[in-house]
Amino acid sequence: MSAATSRSDLPGPEQGATGDADLQRAAGAARVVLRRGPAGPALAVLEQKSPCRALLPRVEGRSAAEVVFVNTAGGVAGGDRLAWGFEASGAITARATSQAAEKLYRALDRPALIETRLSASDGALLEWLPQETIAFDGARLARATTLELSGGARATALEWLLLGRAGHGETLCRGALRDVWRVRRDGRLLWADNLRLEGPVAALAARRALLGGAGAVATLIHVAESGLEPLVEALRERLYGFAGVTAGVGALPGLLLCRLLAREAAALRAAVVEALAVLRGLVPGAGPGLPRVWSS
Amino acid sequence: MTTEPSAGLSETGALLRLQAWFSPAFPVGGFSYSHGLEAALEAGWIGDLDGLVDWLASDLAEGTLRSEAILFLRAHRETGAGDRAALAETAGLAAALRGSAELALESSQQGSAFLATLRAVWPAPALDALVALLAARGLPASLAVAAGAACAAHGIAAEQGLACFLQGTLANLVSAALRLGLLGQTDGQRALARLEPAVAEAVAAALAADPEDLGSAGLLVEIATLVHETQYSRLFRS
Repeated sequence: MSAATSRSDLPGPEQGATGDADLQRAAGAARVVLRRGPAGPALAVLEQKSPCRALLPRVEGRSAAEVVFVNTAGGVAGGDRLAWGFEASGAITARATSQAAEKLYRALDRPALIETRLSASDGALLEWLPQETIAFDGARLARATTLELSGGARATALEWLLLGRAGHGETLCRGALRDVWRVRRDGRLLWADNLRLEGPVAALAARRALLGGAGAVATLIHVAESGLEPLVEALRERLYGFAGVTAGVGALPGLLLCRLLAREAAALRAAVVEALAVLRGLVPGAGPGLPRVWSS
Repeated sequence: MTTEPSAGLSETGALLRLQAWFSPAFPVGGFSYSHGLEAALEAGWIGDLDGLVDWLASDLAEGTLRSEAILFLRAHRETGAGDRAALAETAGLAAALRGSAELALESSQQGSAFLATLRAVWPAPALDALVALLAARGLPASLAVAAGAACAAHGIAAEQGLACFLQGTLANLVSAALRLGLLGQTDGQRALARLEPAVAEAVAAALAADPEDLGSAGLLVEIATLVHETQYSRLFRS
């Protein structure tokens, strides 16, 4: 995808020095397909290639299931390739999360490629609610998330990114981060988003028109063919003026977009939890509570 | 009476057209849009001349206008090459790459007005082809794509065309800041003068960029236009 080919002005390795390509790098994948079965959500496909794993779905009630994806390597570095796939069809609520925050370590000269393919069809409600991504100094990321919907399916999808961990004294000064979204319904591109933070990331994040000093960013979308306006209003009511957070919420054709910026990771997390609670209350069939692993 | 399509347009001829197309007087309704400035002023994110220059320079170098510049160049190249499949992809991406309904309206309403006026006054087969392509796919005309295609259709070089397109965009935004009472007339011109190097750098950076590396860090510009939707008192549509 486009993000993988991006340029960078980060220093590359010295001539003859070790590059990411010289090191043992991960190339993992995990894919889970859930379908509506006679007794509720049923596992149709489970594919795993180390270091990517998927824990068997936990069924919540008659129509909801939750899958936990795991990167057993405990983080990603330059040159790693991870592919996540999550598909749902039929009248079920299929939720996926990640077991832990994804940590992006310093890269030598190549980005970590993370490809996430999500698909919902035939009335399914798909919820992609990973834990946060933490980028450390020198991290390079090319992440592409594609979400395909058809047959009246709906989806809620989240990505959140922390630029370093200020609370641990770990600041991110430079990096090359690309977070690309493509959302299609019935094959038609509904929404595209290319977040690009290249080079002096901390200095860019400080600029007013860009991140306005935020070190934590979340993008939350809800894709549905109708009923978006009440969600937009409820999210605005709860998130505008939320402590420590700058929020923007609006409807675009076929989806709701919620952007959150915060200086502190804790404030961002609180706002994300709040936003998900609003959606849970108003989206018919939304999964119960927060993903269980979030609290641990 | 209309002009002929411009094979062998002279440098002066190109300059005259760019001057017309990207002037605030060109009838695309640019005066209705502030690209988030109205909300950014209300929120106190911009408070003076320095703040305005910094905001616009950031948006140009690393924000939403960076993506617009790359879309312009893609449309210019694809129109020049007659590559309709690639142009359709660029137009579809430009329509979808919108951080708010107001930004989508700002681009599509101005884009369609721009094409309509050009086809009436400066017609070119490539512009008819672009309109047909958009209609066939049910896509709105994005301003950057329309502007890039128009320059290519009239044989105007990408570099000059993009510089004038970006300068025209900034002139419109500075004019919005004037009407919002942030600046006086002279400071408005000071802002544009101080942004000249940023325009030149943005043009050079866009020409050097990988056309696939569209992207923006301009989240606060986008959030400003989201927040603007519920702003109590509004002069502008974005």
